[in-house]
Amino acid sequence: MRRIGLIAIWQHGNDEMAMVKGVRWLMLLLTLVACLLLGLAMGEQWINPLCADSPMDKMILWDLRFPRLLTAFAVGGMLALAGGWFQVLLGNPLAEPYVLGVAGSASAGAVTGLMFVPESAWVMSAGAFIGAWVGIVVVLFFSRLGSNRMLLAGVVLAAFWSALLALLLALLPEQGLYRAFSWMMGDLSHSDLPVSLLLLVWTIALLAGLALSGSLDRLLLGERHAKALGVNVKQLRQRLLLLASAVTAVAVTAAGTIGFVGLVIPHLMRLLFGSLHRAVLPASAIGGGLLLVLADSAARTVIAPAELPVGILTAIIGVPVFLYLLVRRS
Amino acid sequence: MMLRLKNMSVQRAGRQLISGLDCALHHGEIIVVLGPNGAGKSSLLLALAGLIPLTGELELCGKPLSSYARSELTEKIAWQGELPPTEFGLTVQQRLELSMMHGTASIEQAVASMDIGDLLNRALGELSSGERQRVELVALMLRTTPIWLLDEPTAHLDLKHQVECVKMLKAERSKGRAIMTVLHDMQQAMAIADQLILVDGYGHAEYGAAKQLCNRNHLSRLFEVALMEQGDILTPDYRGELNDEITRS
Repeated sequence: MRRIGLIAIWQHGNDEMAMVKGVRWLMLLLTLVACLLLGLAMGEQWINPLCADSPMDKMILWDLRFPRLLTAFAVGGMLALAGGWFQVLLGNPLAEPYVLGVAGSASAGAVTGLMFVPESAWVMSAGAFIGAWVGIVVVLFFSRLGSNRMLLAGVVLAAFWSALLALLLALLPEQGLYRAFSWMMGDLSHSDLPVSLLLLVWTIALLAGLALSGSLDRLLLGERHAKALGVNVKQLRQRLLLLASAVTAVAVTAAGTIGFVGLVIPHLMRLLFGSLHRAVLPASAIGGGLLLVLADSAARTVIAPAELPVGILTAIIGVPVFLYLLVRRS
Repeated sequence: MMLRLKNMSVQRAGRQLISGLDCALHHGEIIVVLGPNGAGKSSLLLALAGLIPLTGELELCGKPLSSYARSELTEKIAWQGELPPTEFGLTVQQRLELSMMHGTASIEQAVASMDIGDLLNRALGELSSGERQRVELVALMLRTTPIWLLDEPTAHLDLKHQVECVKMLKAERSKGRAIMTVLHDMQQAMAIADQLILVDGYGHAEYGAAKQLCNRNHLSRLFEVALMEQGDILTPDYRGELNDEITRS
């Protein structure tokens, strides 16, 4: 009934907008398919996935490249979802785990793990997981200062974690240094978490986010308006925090520190699909995955047979895009 | 009786803003809250909406306010206050959808009365404060709650829309809505108030019939400014002819 009232007024505009958004969704999905195919084909050796016949090519495509593409997709999607949640949680569209120093704390945790057990990837991942949580808890402590001061606190915290990291690296045995550096710049080649687990976390995160989307939308109006519209803001913040930090910790554990996906993608998706979370969350989960698939494919190819850390490419792509969005919005 | 307050006190940041206020808000009634800046008017509304703590007895439809869950309270009370942030790019249409509730029959009239038909697909951040305030008023009109708590609903509005807003409040009163609103414009207050709450910024609050409390000396003392009577209307003495009459007990 209420929709009928709305539609009567801006029927034309609504239809037009729905069509534009429909086309954009189609473009997003087609781009994803194209990027996945491109990602399969790209690498040290170009292999066309649609007409690969030899067993070796099939092995490279489906046993090596495909799982890695899925890892990149899931990690990118998780980073974008977590970024979007942090932005709503802190009421600031510039918030992102990377900007808030969480990446630094996770790195410090990972290197600490490497110091104790240099040969164990799992200990390093556990260190990253604990480090990510510590970083998030510290950020939350400062979130009481308000979102702008909290961002400043994040910058200072990032400097602190970076100093701690430098100290730990100075103490790290030589054999652990390469592993530490490649992880710190984002590395999908050594992901220790199974692809199926990452895709499961991606799916759960998206569904949980969608379940909270109505309340998240109301939180965009500010805490008081959200409360007045029936949102239990305290409970929502707790759930969101738990969700965002858990997803960040899993993504960081899987692929190291990869910045700017969580900053740029939710921003871009809001421009394309509007601000309501029933659209922004799935679009970010796909868009973030798409960006990381693209970046990882390029990272594997640009200086093949060697690989670039994917975090370098996301920063190179992400920073100018974000600055462009910032200028355009202002 | 929709709302009943007994010995109610409101504190903000450790400061006692209002103490010992008794009052009642009935169906089809408008209570206007008047007072200087920082006297606790907005805090009073926030406390009544359950958005900040209060002390004293507050009954909503005969039951203590504390016995209502947040979702139940949302069905009873609508609050209009500060303009929402614009950072996340919400459009006017999206903003309005967030305020819709069961029973919202039609928004055509609300959209037309505040002239926001052309703004529906624009982002809130692109609008002026007055346009955003008009959007907030339409969002309020979508709320079918029996009680409205309004914090300066005519703020930022041009004259035409101030008049529309006052007309709308009168119309809602005649439909039985119970409204408590903070206003700064004396003429608007006198045009719609059935009852007044005067808060002086020193912890005192006075409640009574508008006809009784709305007199020149009383309000001059409250605002520490000279007021002139022009017919039935009280207006500030912008030309300063009466400045020497300002007294404060």
